[in-house]
Formats: sequence, structure tokens, C-alpha cells
Amino acid sequence: MAKVYDAGVKDYRDTYWMPDYTPLDTDILACFKITPQEGVPREEIAAAVAAESSTGTWTTVWTDLLTDLDHYKGRAYAIEDVPGDDTCFYGFVAYPIDLFEEGSVVNVMTSLVGNVFGFKALRALRLEDIRFPIAYVMTCNGPPQGISMERDILNKYGRPFLGCTIKPKLGLSAKNYGRACYEGLRGGLDFTKDDENINSQPFMRWRARFDFVQEAIEKAEAETGERKGHYLNVTAPTADEMMKRAEYAKEIGSPIIMHDYITGGWTANTGLAQWCQDNGMLLHIHRAMHAVLDRNPHHGIHFRVLAKILRLSGGDHLHSGTVVGKLEGDREATLGWIDIMRDSFIKEDRSRGIFFDQDWGSMPGVIPVASGGIHVWHMPALVNIFGDDSCLQFGGGTLGHPWGNAAGAAANRVAVEACVEARNSGRELEKEGKDILTSAAKHSPELAIAMETWKEIKFEFDTVDKIDAAHK
Amino acid sequence: MNKPKVYVGINNEINGGMTTIGKLIRDAWVFELIEETETCEGWNLTGIDALLQKVNDEWDKYGCLVSFLPPELAQRHSRIHGAALEKAKSSGWSGEIETDDEDE
Repeated sequence: MAKVYDAGVKDYRDTYWMPDYTPLDTDILACFKITPQEGVPREEIAAAVAAESSTGTWTTVWTDLLTDLDHYKGRAYAIEDVPGDDTCFYGFVAYPIDLFEEGSVVNVMTSLVGNVFGFKALRALRLEDIRFPIAYVMTCNGPPQGISMERDILNKYGRPFLGCTIKPKLGLSAKNYGRACYEGLRGGLDFTKDDENINSQPFMRWRARFDFVQEAIEKAEAETGERKGHYLNVTAPTADEMMKRAEYAKEIGSPIIMHDYITGGWTANTGLAQWCQDNGMLLHIHRAMHAVLDRNPHHGIHFRVLAKILRLSGGDHLHSGTVVGKLEGDREATLGWIDIMRDSFIKEDRSRGIFFDQDWGSMPGVIPVASGGIHVWHMPALVNIFGDDSCLQFGGGTLGHPWGNAAGAAANRVAVEACVEARNSGRELEKEGKDILTSAAKHSPELAIAMETWKEIKFEFDTVDKIDAAHK
Repeated sequence: MNKPKVYVGINNEINGGMTTIGKLIRDAWVFELIEETETCEGWNLTGIDALLQKVNDEWDKYGCLVSFLPPELAQRHSRIHGAALEKAKSSGWSGEIETDDEDE
């Protein structure tokens, strides 16, 4: 008998809830934290999420008969309680790899966090984690240079990189801005940085900024004998304009450029990262707007997902939170996404909020950037937490030094080298931090003054978004 | 609120002037570009900017670092900036202000 088409509404779970399904090695897996409207059964809403983020619509349509639904559909294959929170649950969904264009985080995310987030049967929805199969990872370009190549390009090994965002963030003339960069670099920083919202405003057009900053870099390099860099922000209103700025940065000899990957968009970012790889440029990534997506524990996209997206789309540095600073970031969760950014294989570890094994194969890692609200007294903890393959950025902690920018930079450089040396000789940094810094300050008046300036600061704010187990 | 057209003077700054301009004026005292009695009160932006260029030129001779200053200048620097830091701290200033409203 010929297949009969029945019009009308049917339960999602009839098609998309498959508790006996064993995910394939090639499936893209997602874990959603699902908060349903009252009275909606868990299996039904989990199936609805699977459907609405893949092939489904709320009613059967005749065109369903023209596609191989069983091949392409997302499958809700498991649900779990959220520790300490009975208003929501975890729903696990497997998507066949053929559902997505190769090398396109844009396409993956348009499905997974697309229309489904406005679905009425949901009170809230959060994408907690994604497992990208190695088969998909290998279709993505990834970080332009990677950690090892960056160290070779800059000829800097065995310690974290040091950086600083130039302040005031808006309003400086290009010449005074370049001078501030020079002072920081001359004092001992490896990098200075454009603020995320410095693009090409009337008070400082991009080309003038690039020229003055490059002059600062060359002067600092000549005087210190070290390679220096400044994250020239090429974020622009259009992708063409962005590429024009990137080309100019390369032309004048800058080793690194910068992009705001969320506000600038993932299509632009992926193209820029590919260009950086082709042209030997490093790419620093800022995450402006991330908190709009990742701060609410019940709705949005967790930062560990945004970090994975960036690693696939491409970037050599990514702001990751500081753990010890004043900005948001649970310690265990931050350690989890730092691993996601740098390691080649990350095991599932719920204590760090990691829901899946993630195999990156040979894809290079991304350097986590700890930036904002930190100063020399945090250095022992930062070196201990982040290790060498990181970039520690002290903005106010450099420019706020009572003796000026170069002194602030020198203080941080002496502090980081003292901490690395102490760690390498077997000392416990967080326990002996005060002794280590005090001893180093005997030979550095800049560090001594920095320690006097900041010693009384304590950061006691609690984080809003913690690992779910911590909510118990 | 409109920005003032002239500088208020380092003697009139909050906390003794732990600001970019305050630091600049103290450096100008260190390098004897202006008298230590000169507070720059009433100076316009161009005047301050011209002083900045002179101070930058002086710092360039010593790699921008206090550690590289010759003993006499280092001593002046220590005296002038030490007194300012003391005054600022006693009036409630700390490094916290510099990192308080910081973003990434």
C-alpha cells in the first residue's frame, strides 16, 4: 500500500526522541540546558529542541516525504537532571555531520542556536557544550599560526606574554596613543592593545593610528632588542574594509592584528583568520558582547561553546577571563575552557563543565588572554593558573602606576619573570607569592612602588555563572 | 558636562593629582623643565601638550625608566614622586581606583 500522508500536529517525541540511539563518532553532539514551560514533558521538549535545531517544524509538511528525514534529523538521545536546579534539565542531541556545511561554524550555529531559542514551549534554553567530531574539525582552518609558531615569530619562550590595553580607551590623538604604546613596550611589555571599540573614529582614524603605533613598535624594538607587537584592531563596518586595514597592517610590518569576533561576525572572522594564515600574521581576538550570550545561567550560549567556535573559526589569542581579577569567571569553569582553547584532547569533566570529550587532532591551540582588573599582586596566581602559554594583560595595572606607563610595564615584567623563575625552581607560587615579589622588588624600584600602590586591593565579588554543581 | 578649557592645576586636583597630567607635571619638575612651584593652573591644552613633548624627550634619554636615571635625577624623582604618593594615599587614593572600572 502506498505511504499515506496525515496532515496535522504530532508529538515531536514520536520522531526525535531516541533514548536508545548511540551517537556516531561523526555526529556533532550538543548539550542544552532546557527550561520548559510548565507542564511540558521533558522528553517532548528535548525532542522539540532536537527537531527545531535540525530538520523539524511543528507540524508535518508534505515535503518531509521528499527528504531522508531519518538520515538528517537531530536526535535527542539523553536527558539528565541539572544538579541543584529542578527548574531545568540537560538535553543531549546528536546531529549527523551531513547536516552542516564543511568548515562553517556559521552554518552549525545557525542551526543549533537559531530559531529554536525563540520556541514558545521553552521558558529558557542554553547551549552548554558542543562536541565537534574530528571529521568536522579537520574541515575548519583554525588558528592562523598557533602557539608554537607565535613563539617562533616573536622569539619569546618559557613565560607568559605580557600585554596592556591603552587607556583612556577613547579620545586620544593618534600621536599620544602611539607614545603610550611605546612607553609600555619600552618598559617591558610584549604587546599593547587597541581597545575593542577603537575602530576608525573621527578623533583617530585607523591609518594614522596604525602608522603611529608601528613607529612606536619599531622604536621599542630597536631600543630593547626584543620583538614587540600591538593588536591593531581591524574590525570595520564591512568585511572589505576590514581586509583593507589588515592588508595595510601587514604592509607596514605589524606582526599581529585584532578582531572583535562576535560583534564583527563569524563569517568575517573565518575569512580574516584564513588571510592571516596565508600572510604569516597573528590574530588577536576580543570577545566583546560575549556576556550578552553567556552570562545568564539559564539562557544563551556558554562561553566554552564560544571558545570552541573561535578555535574552529580561527584566532591565535582569545580573551578568557582572569579567575583572580574582578571580572566574571568561575575558577573551575575557566580552567575548563582554557583547556578547550589550548589542548589537543580534552576529556569530559563535569567538575569543569565539560560535557564531552573533544578531540582537536592537529589543530593548533589558542592562547588564553587574562585581561582586566589585575595587577602585580595577582601575578603569582596568574602564572600558576594560566601557565606559560598565556597572555597576561594589565591595563590599569600598568598605566595606573604612579610613575607612569613604562614603570608599570617594568613592574609587571620583573614580577612575571620572578614568578616564572621561582616556579621553575620548585617554589609554590600562590603560597610564597609575597616573598617572591618582595625579593624581586629589591632590585626594581618600579615593582616596589607597584606593590605599595596595589597591596590593599581585594576582589570579593562572587560569580554569577558557576558550574551547576556549585549551585547545590 | 563641558570639559574645562584650562587645567585646574596640580594643587587643585583630587588626591594630589594621580592623573596623567599630574604625573606629567611631576616629571617636568624632576627634569627641571618648570619650577617646582609651577602648578600649571590656568594652562590650556596646547600648553600641557607642549610640556608633554618636552618631558617625553627627556625620558627618551633614559629609556623611559626610573631605573636608568642618573643618581641626581633618580634622587629628585624619588623625592618628588614619593611625596606625591604619600599625599595621595593619605587622602584616600589607591591603585584600586586605576583598576576599578576596567573591562577586558
